[in-house]
Amino acid sequence: MKKGYKKVERMTGAMRLIHWVNFFSMIVAIATGLYIAAPYYQTLIAEPAVNKYVMAWNRWGHFIVAIIFDVTSIVVAYLYFFSRFEKPYKKVLPTAKNIKEFFAVLMNLITLNRSKNFDSSHSDSFNTVYFTIFHLLLAWMLFTGLQLYVHGLESGQSSIGTWWPALLHLATDWTIPVSHALVGSSGGVATIMDVRISHHATMWLIIVWVVFHIYYQVWRTIFWQEGDIAIAFGGSKFVKENDKAQS
Amino acid sequence: MPGDRIESIKSLFTAKSAKVETNKGEQYYQKLYAQCRARLDKLKSMAPVGSNIKIKEVIEEEGVNRRDFLKWASATTAMLMLPASFTPLVAEAATLMNRVPVIWIELQDCAGNSEALLRSDGPKIDEILLDIISLEFHETLMAPSGHQAEKQLEDAVKTFKGKYILFVEGSVPMGIDGHFGTIGAKAETFIEHLTKLANDAAAVVAVGSCATFGGVPAAAPNPTDAKGVMEVVQGKPIVNIPACPANPSNMVGVLLHYVLTGQLPELDSLLRPKFAFGYRIHDNCERRAHFDAGEFVEEWGDEGAKNNFCLYKMGCKGPMTFNNCSIIRYNEGVNWPVGVGRGCIGCSEPDFWDKYAYERPMANANIKAPTGGVEKSVDEFGLGLLTAAGIGIGIHAAASAIAGKKDNQGEA
Ligand code: SF4
Repeated sequence: MKKGYKKVERMTGAMRLIHWVNFFSMIVAIATGLYIAAPYYQTLIAEPAVNKYVMAWNRWGHFIVAIIFDVTSIVVAYLYFFSRFEKPYKKVLPTAKNIKEFFAVLMNLITLNRSKNFDSSHSDSFNTVYFTIFHLLLAWMLFTGLQLYVHGLESGQSSIGTWWPALLHLATDWTIPVSHALVGSSGGVATIMDVRISHHATMWLIIVWVVFHIYYQVWRTIFWQEGDIAIAFGGSKFVKENDKAQS
Repeated sequence: MPGDRIESIKSLFTAKSAKVETNKGEQYYQKLYAQCRARLDKLKSMAPVGSNIKIKEVIEEEGVNRRDFLKWASATTAMLMLPASFTPLVAEAATLMNRVPVIWIELQDCAGNSEALLRSDGPKIDEILLDIISLEFHETLMAPSGHQAEKQLEDAVKTFKGKYILFVEGSVPMGIDGHFGTIGAKAETFIEHLTKLANDAAAVVAVGSCATFGGVPAAAPNPTDAKGVMEVVQGKPIVNIPACPANPSNMVGVLLHYVLTGQLPELDSLLRPKFAFGYRIHDNCERRAHFDAGEFVEEWGDEGAKNNFCLYKMGCKGPMTFNNCSIIRYNEGVNWPVGVGRGCIGCSEPDFWDKYAYERPMANANIKAPTGGVEKSVDEFGLGLLTAAGIGIGIHAAASAIAGKKDNQGEA
């Protein structure tokens, strides 16, 4: 370890696991989701239909990662409030301290690291807000996605019982009017197409989110010189001993 | 109004959308059977309203034999999601359909729904029934016009006050106080016309996409501020039978259900009868196996098209559309859009013209971006956003590289 630097733990093993599970799920979700929206490769026409199951496999993959996302989201939501490590909700509450830190970090980004008046040893307000946005987008994807999924279970039956479609209706039917409000239309009636449009548009928001997220973490690593990128792999970064005293 | 809004939002949470119960249990059907029996006996004792046509005879005259009629009755029983034991009741109810008076009005529309039931080659039983139900008033079909027609309407409303079923075809133009559409010698606006007639009706049935959700007249930019019936008529039972045109089988179905049980059929959150709109087209489509296999028509007339492949990539909206045309088809099972090799355009869904009928997969559609206003596809919007983010990042990265201050290099 470099002299004058101190190792701080930032992500527990569980958090890192969730991070990388989400990473791979995201790639699968986008690749399969784009295929479901508009099949972008063709199957061999000469092969009999029974041997290929391309759309079905894509949908299968999409639903499987959706369910993985469901589970990680529930865990993340739990950790937001009850984590014994760091409770992220404390960082998104609009307290004076958080607001000050939020803008300090934002200024750091805008001034190209000329000003850095905050403690970078722990998760800061700005990043936590940014992650919260991600989780909200993801939650929206889950609710709209499950709403689109339940359309195929019209009979109210499913392989695991009638409670599942019933629960999905109860949990996701509200996305129809909300999507309608988001997407807007000429007529006054909310439709399931609004949900589909919103689900598709939100994918783009998430991609944009990811692009900035990767850039920002790399940027921090380069300019802060605290090894931030390592957090996602090894769980820790390094801060200057005396830095800790400031803030 | 706000009360209704709250109600409509509430109804979305009660899990009514697209959940069909096809078996409600022995007890339920036994009770219903007795109820229907009593209702039919009562109707039989009543004189038919208006003309004294014997429906059975007319059907036979049209060349439908008894066997065909019974086949139709059992198919209709199944369509209404009733057990097979109800078939004789349905057959009987069909012959009693002229006991329920119907008034049919047309607003902002193309008369396509009337056409659908009139213009089939060799009328099928559904069309015959619609033809000879006691249609007390139908602007397109009736002989009188002007003051005479108005008189006839007034008489019909007076005689059958609170008893008639009001069929509405066409949307209601709400703009400039409704003056986009007026009718009759007194230039009554469609809004007045509709509310007046709905007030004295037993129930209102909106047929076709225009009457239900505004349809084509309500498509962007919706110059007349066209609205569906359910947004205008308050405090009356309303049934929506969307589609462009609405399937005559479903019109008969709703009417028959009313004759049979004295009640309107079970509805979903968009007030559509569940027996007709409970299932997604896609889930009963004959090309579904090709969808799952990833076998799509890529271009009109290609090998895929010749092999009846799935039309998803040609813009089929079957996966987003609830209707029974993939089950009962049109014109008594002759064919339906996907069957003839063109995709579903979602004509029975709200906002279908803007959001379903562009005949491209959704990802290539020019629908309104979330920002509203400009016609722009979601993907273009997304890519634009991504590009903007990319440019922003590029600028920030370049600026950082040139002018940024790396910690540990400066004074520290
Ligand atoms: S043709 Fe349309 S409704 Fe039929 S399987 Fe393909 S997408 Fe679904």
